[in-house]
Amino acid sequence: MMEVSPGAESSRPDHVALRGVTKRYGGVTALEDVDFSCALGSIHAVLGENGAGKSTLIKIMSGVVQPSAGEMFLDGAPVSFPNPHAANDAGVVCIFQELSLLPDLSVADNISIGDPPRRFGMIDARAQRRRAESLLARIGCEDVNPLLNVRDLPLSRRQMVEIAKALAKDPTVLILDEATSALTAADVDRVFEILRLLRDDGISILTISHRMHEIEAVADRCSVFRNGRHIDTFDQGARSADEIVQMMIGREIAAQFPEKQQTPHPDTVLEIDHLSWEDRLKSVTLSAGEGEIIGLGGLDGQGQKELLLALFGVLKGVSGAVRIGGSAVALTSPRNAKSAGVRMALIPEDRKTEGLMLPMSITDNLVISSLDALSNGLFVDRKALETAVDDGVARMQIKVGSVDDPVSTLSGGNQQKVVIAKWLLTDPKVILLNDPTRGIDVGTKQEIYKLLRALAADGAAILFYSTDYEELIGCCDRVAVMYDGAIVTVLAGDAITETNIVASALNIEAQDAAKTVAGGPEATP
Amino acid sequence: MTDAVRNSAGESRFGLGPEDKPILVASGFVLVILAIGTAYTLVTQGSATLLSPTYLLQQLQVGAFLGIVAAGMMLVILLGHIDLSVPWTLAAAAMMATAVGGGAAIPVGLAVGLLVGLVNGFGVAYLRIPSMIFTLGVNAVMRGLMVAHTGGFAPQTAATDLMQWLAVGKVLGVPAALLVWAAISVGVVLLLNRTATGRYIYAIGNKEAAAYLAGAPTRRVIITAFALCGMAAGLAGTLLAGYSTKAYQGMGDAYLLPAIAAVVIGGTHILGGKGRYLGTLIGVILIVLLNSVLSIMQMPEAGRQVIYGGVIILMLLVYGRGQKVTQ
Repeated sequence: MMEVSPGAESSRPDHVALRGVTKRYGGVTALEDVDFSCALGSIHAVLGENGAGKSTLIKIMSGVVQPSAGEMFLDGAPVSFPNPHAANDAGVVCIFQELSLLPDLSVADNISIGDPPRRFGMIDARAQRRRAESLLARIGCEDVNPLLNVRDLPLSRRQMVEIAKALAKDPTVLILDEATSALTAADVDRVFEILRLLRDDGISILTISHRMHEIEAVADRCSVFRNGRHIDTFDQGARSADEIVQMMIGREIAAQFPEKQQTPHPDTVLEIDHLSWEDRLKSVTLSAGEGEIIGLGGLDGQGQKELLLALFGVLKGVSGAVRIGGSAVALTSPRNAKSAGVRMALIPEDRKTEGLMLPMSITDNLVISSLDALSNGLFVDRKALETAVDDGVARMQIKVGSVDDPVSTLSGGNQQKVVIAKWLLTDPKVILLNDPTRGIDVGTKQEIYKLLRALAADGAAILFYSTDYEELIGCCDRVAVMYDGAIVTVLAGDAITETNIVASALNIEAQDAAKTVAGGPEATP
Repeated sequence: MTDAVRNSAGESRFGLGPEDKPILVASGFVLVILAIGTAYTLVTQGSATLLSPTYLLQQLQVGAFLGIVAAGMMLVILLGHIDLSVPWTLAAAAMMATAVGGGAAIPVGLAVGLLVGLVNGFGVAYLRIPSMIFTLGVNAVMRGLMVAHTGGFAPQTAATDLMQWLAVGKVLGVPAALLVWAAISVGVVLLLNRTATGRYIYAIGNKEAAAYLAGAPTRRVIITAFALCGMAAGLAGTLLAGYSTKAYQGMGDAYLLPAIAAVVIGGTHILGGKGRYLGTLIGVILIVLLNSVLSIMQMPEAGRQVIYGGVIILMLLVYGRGQKVTQ
């Protein structure tokens, strides 16, 4: 498996290497007989669907879990890390998917939290601040004030602080587990700049990402994993994106997006009339017809999430009107939003904290939104409940061992399917999706696109916020681009192009750009 | 369409599943306590007093008061909250019930508990004040109100006949208090396992935000749980007044820590979301037997407190070690 093709990159010596590494969790084999190596001073991307074994790989390398069999080498010498501390001491540092910063401590406190500089046994605040300043300067973030609380920083800056914190441990191997999944395109570029700088300093970098174009932009070498096995390692550029996707999913994929509906949408289901909330939503007016998928685009944080939350009754003090099927509805709570007259559903942003009760069973998670409908008088009807669960599992093709297992045992993609299935059981008329494919494997993404189309065909109106422009272009009948809390442009048909979305998102002469490009040679890619 | 697989243990929530280690450990501990106590009585008295039905029924009767309080407490702990107002809710219910007397005594006791529970629930669900602080404050308020009510003296009123019968009477040899506890237990098991409210309780205890966004009536469920907890404390108060024929200051003080301990020893997660009522039952029995055996062994009060606290800490250590550190 590890015949490395000759080339400039592969002539570099191995920095970290795994030989015959296997990891079993109970009866489940997460990694099987993996040979893998990462060359000194390179950026190495690890690709694979959820459940391919990427996370286990980096957990082993960073000492979070121990392999069931096999060996690990650092600079040619065998090593074993009984815990993350041992890995850190050896120079292997991992930045995990979820941010690990403490929001109420300052940037400087956070950066030095593992080993603060001391003076007479007390923390030397001045030395700590200087250390933070120099580390932030190293990654080009001199503008971050080390004395600010992390809570007061925007998400993108926090990610930079996270990198600075990792650098404080003086790593020779830096591992990033989907460290860019929460960032917008501009911030991602910035992180990549930093990664290249660090690589040129001689740090080996291992990165995991689901976004193919990001890997193309930054990686020197790529490894593909599937079902716990190492499939191939190659220099970046040696394989086409299609070939890589093939390797990841191991099967042929049809067109990435299902065909759009050609018919117009005469019957208006959802009417949003001058909706405003604090200074985050500014007089948003939009309507969605029966069977229509409307994308919400724009830069991150321009009010798209607030719009969905306002519609779902989560925000207090929203002004304006919302009509469903012609009659005005009150937006007071999610409970009200799912009630008979409204029939709205929201797939929330973060499935782990907003979408699921992770330790609870798949059954409990699936039926939580339809418990009232499944109760007859005082008690829950068990027969009806089991039917509903079977129905949800079948409709979303959720891969489950037993529906009584905790939902946390499922892969990320299947967890998201549970969130969606939970709402399908309420038979919604208006479906709001808040970036539902973030951090999800390619196969599941495509299933979700198909499902959205099918739901639209059944008459639902869908509002779909995504940070991935490709999705908006491929999935939506219209795209409403938001800027600073207001809808600046609504693109339709062939006018939905990346150029137009980006132009509108930046609020630069959006109208003109749309007109020139619409119908031009570079219609939907 | 294929039918989804279900665990055989999951079919019936009354059976023991692999996740019920705390319940097994607590049951084992109950047997150990009985064995040690019996060995002690065999040596000193030459008889196995602890194993006689009379003794066991008597223990269960004493345990009923704690059991009723713990049943209510469990609902609140499952939500990830706590009710520290139990001592004076219990005392207030007892004092009001004896003060009113007659047929209205028991309803008044329950109503006092319900009222305090509603106030607690309102404070936690609507005012969003942490339950630990809010219920502690309510406890102090109730205490002040009761001292004002009695003028600082012991209440002179007596428990009604019905209260006394419920506490010490027997039906076919079974203590009436035990039957009340059993009825409450059946109610709680049905509530937790068979109703939508029960499932919402677990859901809120696991992740309130997710439950809210799923359209669960989170505020209503929180208020319901606190109201039931208050009523359980009120009921325990009226029964306890019947047991000692009168209400007195501080009669609830001995019930707060044991009730929380029983729930937690029974495997309910102190931060909510996980736990089975069977565990709480066994937790109550464990605490009652431990107290009883220690008093049979004529352990001085100081030693009893040390052993009592030590056992609780020990059991929590045993549970904690079973859980994965990284997650």
